[in-house]
Amino acid sequence: MAKTDTIPEAVSPLREAWGQFLKNRPAVFGLALLSVIVGLVLYGHFLHDADPYDIVWMPLTPPGDEAGIWFGTDFLGRDMMTGLLKGGGPTLLVGLSAALITVVIGILMGALAGYFGGWVDDLLMRLTEFFQVLPALLFAMVLVTLFSPSLWTVAFAIGIVSWPQTARLTRAEFLRIRELEYVTAARSIGAGNGRIIARVILPNALPPLIVSATLTIGVAILFEAGLSFLGLGDPNTMSWGLMIGQNRNYILDAWWPVTLPGLAIFLTVFAVSLVGDGLNDAFNPKLRSR
Amino acid sequence: MPLEKTDALMSLRDLKVEFDTRHGRVTALSGISLDVKPGETLGIVGESGCGKSITALAMMGLVPNPPGHVTGGSIHFQGEDITRARARRMRKLRGGEIAMIFQEPMTSLNPVFTVGDQITEAILLHQDVSRTQAEKQVVELLATVGIPEPAKRAQSYPHQLSGGMRQRVMIAMAISCRPKLLIADEPTTALDVTVQAQIFDLMRDIQREFGVAIVLITHDMGAIAEMTDRVAVMYAGRIIEQGTSDQILDNPLHPYTRGLIGCIPVLGREAAGAEALPPLAEIPGIVPPLHLLGEGCAFAERCQLADDHCRAQRPALEIPALQNGGHPVACHHAGITTRAELPA
Repeated sequence: MAKTDTIPEAVSPLREAWGQFLKNRPAVFGLALLSVIVGLVLYGHFLHDADPYDIVWMPLTPPGDEAGIWFGTDFLGRDMMTGLLKGGGPTLLVGLSAALITVVIGILMGALAGYFGGWVDDLLMRLTEFFQVLPALLFAMVLVTLFSPSLWTVAFAIGIVSWPQTARLTRAEFLRIRELEYVTAARSIGAGNGRIIARVILPNALPPLIVSATLTIGVAILFEAGLSFLGLGDPNTMSWGLMIGQNRNYILDAWWPVTLPGLAIFLTVFAVSLVGDGLNDAFNPKLRSR
Repeated sequence: MPLEKTDALMSLRDLKVEFDTRHGRVTALSGISLDVKPGETLGIVGESGCGKSITALAMMGLVPNPPGHVTGGSIHFQGEDITRARARRMRKLRGGEIAMIFQEPMTSLNPVFTVGDQITEAILLHQDVSRTQAEKQVVELLATVGIPEPAKRAQSYPHQLSGGMRQRVMIAMAISCRPKLLIADEPTTALDVTVQAQIFDLMRDIQREFGVAIVLITHDMGAIAEMTDRVAVMYAGRIIEQGTSDQILDNPLHPYTRGLIGCIPVLGREAAGAEALPPLAEIPGIVPPLHLLGEGCAFAERCQLADDHCRAQRPALEIPALQNGGHPVACHHAGITTRAELPA
């Protein structure tokens, strides 16, 4: 055949989605905001390095009253700025690990249920429903109070109560995709169940799962803040939620020790949600033209 | 049923496949017997819902289960009953010895991997070669199936290829491990007529070069005439007529087969004169729902020759006693073409 036809540059579906994402202004804004937050959390100690538990000035000093203490002090006289910079790490870490736990359990359960169907599906879905009807916050509180309230317990507790949604989403995608012809085609070249689940169906089920995982990070951060606010966070690890929780009794006298970490949480979750929505639009061609 | 010694590559004997449905257990294949000989092309023809695709899937050991079950009979491939083979053994055979191409080239390739990746994967599943060697084979295979600039095309994603190109890729994947049997389930139905001819040419070339036996599943009698050595005509889960392509096309004995042949449009009909050719025929009605099949001939409802005998007793597939010889057919009125010829 003649070499006349030009072959377009191969563009992977992921790269194409990325291109779509970059055209979405709110999403790019969210990503930029998130990058700034993550940058400050990761590299903030180059700007200002101190122990967030150190008492630096009079308790409840308002922001700007004292040179060098731009964000004021909390009820024990600890520097809010140090707290905000150092407390972001654990908050984000809890959010990420909780999302990771959610995604791993959720995908595993949903994939097996959706792919094999029958009694496997029945069993796993009953299990999923069991966890889904548990009042999430209460269950997490029970877990955290039963075990010592470390960062990992909190992440684990959040993960355990959030996976059912991911599992159901994964199952739905697997139910849809397993009937498609390319799955039969993969089987016809001798691929086994494991390979079909991991290499054929999962990559095609991934887009909505990536979106859901991103949004789970936001939910997990809120969850961590909620638990800490109730005094169930890890008291030995400074986090935004812990700052709010410890200062909540003084909110009528001083707004900043509660409001500033609250604002930090808000901005983070906001940025994560924008990114999640952007990913959703990028992966879902039906929404693209809007 | 005793298995006679045959030289067949694959033999189906009295194969029965049933499905669990809302209407209870429904028989999709009720006793199919077929032989595929090495290097030949066997056509399986029939309308939608007659069981052709299930036959193809059964040959691959891929009857969807649940709800489907192979409930009787056997499928011997090179002497081995694959209905009893273990899953591991079947995975080895699939792609390695028996390969399949599908109706919809648009949806039978995984959209998130390049076509090169997918063929490489098929090769690595069955051959003990390195990835680099496999990728080299991929380029050769793509060249074999007539894809221009194969090295570059291997980097393409399925959505960047046309339907015909994708079907070529499917064929490349199917022949990647030199199978002995290639099952083609309506490989050209979704393609343009011109592309269809190219794909058939390619399949013939492949067959000549690799000596692979082809089972061509189609509803298109034209494709049968063009491609096959022998034909089995299926209706409602049974084979109703079987013979060489010449026997079936020149001397169809079953009214259903005649109907299918009558459905081939003839170019230049007007020029040939209206009286020279019968009008383009159609077969009235549809294949009856499988759960409503009665005792009689399944085609009786749609057959202009049907009488009470047809409705009461199902005809067996056997060679009728006719002067000009015959081939196996399941019809009480084999060889009769009009009502006028019916015995009183």
